[in-house]
Amino acid sequence: MKIGAATFCWLAGAMLLLLAPPAVRAQQPAQKLPTGHGRDFTTESYFEAPHEQQVKLRLSGAEVTSLPGSLQDIRLMRIETFREDGTLEMTVRAPQCTFAPFDGVANSAGRLELETGDGKFHVEGEGFLWRQNDQFLTISNRVRTVIEMPAVKMNAT
Amino acid sequence: MKKLFLFLALGVCGAASAQLPTALSAAPATTAVAGTNVPAKPRAPTVITSDAADFDMNIRQGIYRGHVVVQDPDVKLTCAWLVIDLPDSGSHLNHVLADTNVVVDFTDEKGQTYHVTAARAVYDYKVVNTETNETVTFSGSPKVVTKESTIESEPMIWDRARNKFSFIGPIMKSSAGLGGEGDTNAPMLNFLK
Repeated sequence: MKIGAATFCWLAGAMLLLLAPPAVRAQQPAQKLPTGHGRDFTTESYFEAPHEQQVKLRLSGAEVTSLPGSLQDIRLMRIETFREDGTLEMTVRAPQCTFAPFDGVANSAGRLELETGDGKFHVEGEGFLWRQNDQFLTISNRVRTVIEMPAVKMNAT
Repeated sequence: MKKLFLFLALGVCGAASAQLPTALSAAPATTAVAGTNVPAKPRAPTVITSDAADFDMNIRQGIYRGHVVVQDPDVKLTCAWLVIDLPDSGSHLNHVLADTNVVVDFTDEKGQTYHVTAARAVYDYKVVNTETNETVTFSGSPKVVTKESTIESEPMIWDRARNKFSFIGPIMKSSAGLGGEGDTNAPMLNFLK
């Protein structure tokens, strides 16, 4: 990971806001994120005890740039979520997204890919809105889902 | 009247007993032993396309909107609106709701084509004591069209695990001119097997 100290603090603050429960986020006083530019960043959040050693979410990106209005422009974003046992739950990838850390909202007119950890559920589309507060993802255009299901046995008659 | 009923029974039984495709249950029925499950084989993935979609991760539900197409290995479904319960890792889809202008097309192992239309279709899948229950319940003026006949029934249930249709109070039209000219409305010709 290559990241400057200032950028790290900036990202850490932003990510803490992103990952905080909605109630906590709502209590945050009006504040501004440091402005700047960072490259090849990764930030992680952890489960609460007793699984505090386990990564809950890992966010990485090739580039992050602050935008007016406390927004961030993230390039080559990748989000990985994990279960408490450490197994990969889901991976989300987007070439670009605009992230509003105070609102917990991410959106983009570009492509989004989402895949479960076992690779058996894959969604892609163009244009998305992710609302962290209610864990709700909208994909606006050209949605394509591929589901690999286990074979089933047929009841004969 | 008796002749008419006989025609209806034969026609509907013919449709109902046809070997329907096994999109989600891949093994051929000919290898099956009555009352048992036949071995499964790997199947191609199911692909859903749509104009837009919402995914509610709290209740693990996906809602597809606009020009929805579900392409299964053996079945094609189109509708305006589709809701699926997102499956757990490696699990089977267990509940799907298709709504508005639902059209299902498939071809059985004998080459018989089926064209089903309805306002709504509900797919349910569950395994109870190794018994697979896999049904699609059509409602809202459902109609199945085959080469020989057209059958309307409210509701219409497609038991995919057993490859059978069930009809309640079916209205049948013959396409082959087998003496069943005109419409008929049987009182309760239910759950043919």
